[in-house]
Amino acid sequence: MGDTFTKVKITTAFEGKPNARAIKTYVDNDGYAGLKKALGMQPGQIIDEVKASGLRGRGGAGFPTGMKWSFVPKDDKGAKYIICNNDESEPGTFKDRYIAECNPHMILEGMIIAGFAIGANKGYIYTRCDFFDEIKWLETAIREAYDAGFLGDNILGSGFKFHIDHYAGAGAYICGEETGLLSSLEGKKGQPKLKPPFPAISGYLHRPTIVNNTETLAAVPWIINHGAAAHKTMGTEKSPGTKLFCLSGRVKRPGVYELPLGYPIEKLIHEDAGGMLPGYNIKACIPGGSSAPILTAEELKGLTLDYEAIAAKGSMLGSGAIMIIDDSMSMAELLKVTVEFYHHESCGQCTPCREGTGWLANIMTGIMAGEGKKDDLQRMFEISRNMEGKTICALSDAAAMPTKSIVTKFGAEIADFIERGKRA
Amino acid sequence: MSETVTFKLNGKDITVSKGTTVMEAARRENVEIPHFCWHPGLSVAGVCRFCMVKVEGRPKLEIACNLQATNGMDVKTDTDEAKSAHKWALEFHLVNHPLDCPICDQAGECGLQDYYMSVGKYQSQMTRPKVLKPKMLDVGRDLVLDTERCILCSRCVRFEEEVTKTGALGIFDRGDRAIIGTYPGEKIEHNYQTNLVDICPVGAFTSRDFRFKQRVWFLKDKPATCPGCSTGCSVDVFGKPETRSYFRIKPRKGEANGHWMCDKGRHMYSHLNQDVRLRTALTTDTKGRRHDTNFAGAIEDLGKRIAAVNPATDIALLVSAQHTSEEYKSLFNFFVQELGVKKVFQWREPTEKIDSFDGLLYRGDHNANTRGLQNELKEAGFATEVKNEFDFVAGSGAKIVIAITPEIPSTCPSLEKQLNHLTELDFVSFWTSAGSVGDNKKSKHALPMKGFAEKKGTFINHDGKPGKLESPFPCPVVDGRDITEIVAALKSWRHSHGSR
Ligand SMILES: Cc1cc2nc3c(=O)[nH]c(=O)nc-3n(C[C@H](O)[C@H](O)[C@H](O)COP(=O)(O)O)c2cc1C
Ligand code: SF4
Ligand code: SF4
Ligand code: FES
Repeated sequence: MGDTFTKVKITTAFEGKPNARAIKTYVDNDGYAGLKKALGMQPGQIIDEVKASGLRGRGGAGFPTGMKWSFVPKDDKGAKYIICNNDESEPGTFKDRYIAECNPHMILEGMIIAGFAIGANKGYIYTRCDFFDEIKWLETAIREAYDAGFLGDNILGSGFKFHIDHYAGAGAYICGEETGLLSSLEGKKGQPKLKPPFPAISGYLHRPTIVNNTETLAAVPWIINHGAAAHKTMGTEKSPGTKLFCLSGRVKRPGVYELPLGYPIEKLIHEDAGGMLPGYNIKACIPGGSSAPILTAEELKGLTLDYEAIAAKGSMLGSGAIMIIDDSMSMAELLKVTVEFYHHESCGQCTPCREGTGWLANIMTGIMAGEGKKDDLQRMFEISRNMEGKTICALSDAAAMPTKSIVTKFGAEIADFIERGKRA
Repeated sequence: MSETVTFKLNGKDITVSKGTTVMEAARRENVEIPHFCWHPGLSVAGVCRFCMVKVEGRPKLEIACNLQATNGMDVKTDTDEAKSAHKWALEFHLVNHPLDCPICDQAGECGLQDYYMSVGKYQSQMTRPKVLKPKMLDVGRDLVLDTERCILCSRCVRFEEEVTKTGALGIFDRGDRAIIGTYPGEKIEHNYQTNLVDICPVGAFTSRDFRFKQRVWFLKDKPATCPGCSTGCSVDVFGKPETRSYFRIKPRKGEANGHWMCDKGRHMYSHLNQDVRLRTALTTDTKGRRHDTNFAGAIEDLGKRIAAVNPATDIALLVSAQHTSEEYKSLFNFFVQELGVKKVFQWREPTEKIDSFDGLLYRGDHNANTRGLQNELKEAGFATEVKNEFDFVAGSGAKIVIAITPEIPSTCPSLEKQLNHLTELDFVSFWTSAGSVGDNKKSKHALPMKGFAEKKGTFINHDGKPGKLESPFPCPVVDGRDITEIVAALKSWRHSHGSR
């Protein structure tokens, strides 16, 4: 294997360039070339090209992007919307902000192309409020794009009209869930909407809406510019293209890595990131954000970073947030912060999620206070099992999956902790 | 014919119109799917996640309330997987519930209790302290809210949004800290508050009026039509026959009212309780002394007085519109057709705004049977314009006035004044259930009447639609009669005393 991995950078192409974020830098380096090409195509052709590229949603679920776009009713001439999900709220994830840092125009270009493909004339970027700089950069980029004629009522003389507004959320994890985001954007409490209907049919203000992750949209200009076939040469058959991985934990060089899908995780950790800091060993790894089931160090052997390979190990690629858990960390502590996070963030409409996340956190509070009971882990497993697949959105599953995997794979350590009634 | 679809529910083929949900279809088939957030009069929220059903060929259970039936769909409500999901959903609902059934008014008609018996029966696994939330909140004139008992089904929020359109309630905070409440400094003000008590599947909203008065399993409910205004909502009256007392009124699904009724209507039981009612008949002897008497005694007195006058010139009927059409018919049959009485006056509240309407249910005509009285007056040969003719009685020259009072004093602000006027006349026979008639020392003759919950008959509402009274409670007043029974007694007295 070794050096057969592509060095092509798509979403981080402007990493380290001087004046990287300026529109001039972008345009001088093929920026908005994808848009120009797209405006000469039929909308249906663009959707077909994205389908053929094999691009899958980078927000967590990995849903095929072209297919999602094709769900928008074609004969509906009314208002439609493109939403860029830049909420980046999954713990361990810090990639979307990095795209905005490297070059925000790529995001705008992806949105305009997507808008042209589905017949939308309006787009919103929804960014979590804590990203002060990124918000500033995105808003500057929007102004620059208007001035350069890439946004407006008649884009590059094509007659196509597209506008983008920026919206800052208030920092709720649930507003990263696409329909929670839409509720928030509509000015309501950030709560996911009951599906069906799905957003592609009835989304923002009950109109057809496509919500895509920032990284997904940012990959679109390259695909249109270079063609689906070029995209398919990178990555694996079922997971083509490159993906941003957010590596954290006690490795020597944590950070964002753009790598082709199918890249060996051990190579990433030990070569690209330089291995573990001295004195620390890998105990476990959360491969796709805090919602992904945990993998043991053992399970990382030979594992490649693509949707299928990680799913085969019972976890998921998710947002691409790889969190290395080292041998200095307490699994009880890890479980506690995990369930507390979901307890804090559950919107509370669905009973299994509202009560389940609270119950899990409540039990962990007891365990941490030395009041744990012998059957607590079994109970947590059962509670989690019954929170899964039962709710409006996947937050409930996102709490259940890591819990189940941690109590299953590291039950002995936590049981020992409960037994001794104090920190392991 | 609208388009139909055929699907299987627990193995049985069912045909429903397209767009029907599995929940709706199951209700029609009497197949119980446990549910909390779904309500037939509100939009679908899909939040309690209780109504899980198995659809063959689909990997996950689905919620029946948001699942439209399609051709060939094979739905099962009773697989092991579905049953386990129901049990767990209930357990989640109860994890932080205070379980204070012994002091909760909802006990006996609570979704949590009922479902525990039907789909729960698990051993609680909750070993940790529960989440505590505010209790005994004053959120409106007729309501007390206990947010700890609340299961956050959002029915009440949707009711305020969709039915009253006030948006008076919201869910504040999130996760298991979420609580139902009004906006800061505000309270629910409208006339439909107690519907929240009905639709709340648990004891979170309780009725200030009904609170702590009675265990519901001691109550008997009987269908009736609300006498509070000319809308004529279908209702159930809840009473305790053993003690001959009444406790509350709830809406029953009906054409006029859908699922709801107003708060004014809720109080239409209080005038029926003994403490405010005329409990004995009254007569006045030849020496002018007033006596309590029994029914027969009062009939005899009135019968004699009628026999002594010329009905055409000397008798006047003063008739309110809060009684049934059947009663009016018998009244006019006897007095107009048989005796030839010519002076018949409508008795209405002078301050009423008869055409006012709040857009939902409550109307300014606080008489349940204005239309019915009009119909019977017309039958009997009188003009049919609705108007208050009270003031004509005094100058009518009648020696005997039969005054059939409104049944519900609270709907007539001028009633006391009007009663005082009447007691100034020569002789008035009050047919009434109002206790104040007996308390007035100047009343000379009175016959206690049955209330709407104690008789059979029909009200015709503003729209010309009939509302039935058909399942009477025993009258708490031994001598209470309806108009038809009084007329029959007068008739038989008259016949047995030689007149025809
Ligand atoms: C609880 C929860 C939080 C989520 N947070 C994010 C997020 O912060 N950013 C994001 O892009 N997608 C997030 N998602 C996924 C979105 O719902 C949605 O699938 C995604 O934005 C679709 O874009 P994609 O198809 O391009 O991946 C979240 C999902 C859930 C259930
Ligand atoms: S699963 Fe949890 S976060 Fe998602 S809608 Fe339901 S209660 Fe809210
Ligand atoms: S108060 Fe009652 S109706 Fe309202 S959400 Fe709570 S349980 Fe449901
Ligand atoms: S009744 Fe279907 S989810 Fe509540």
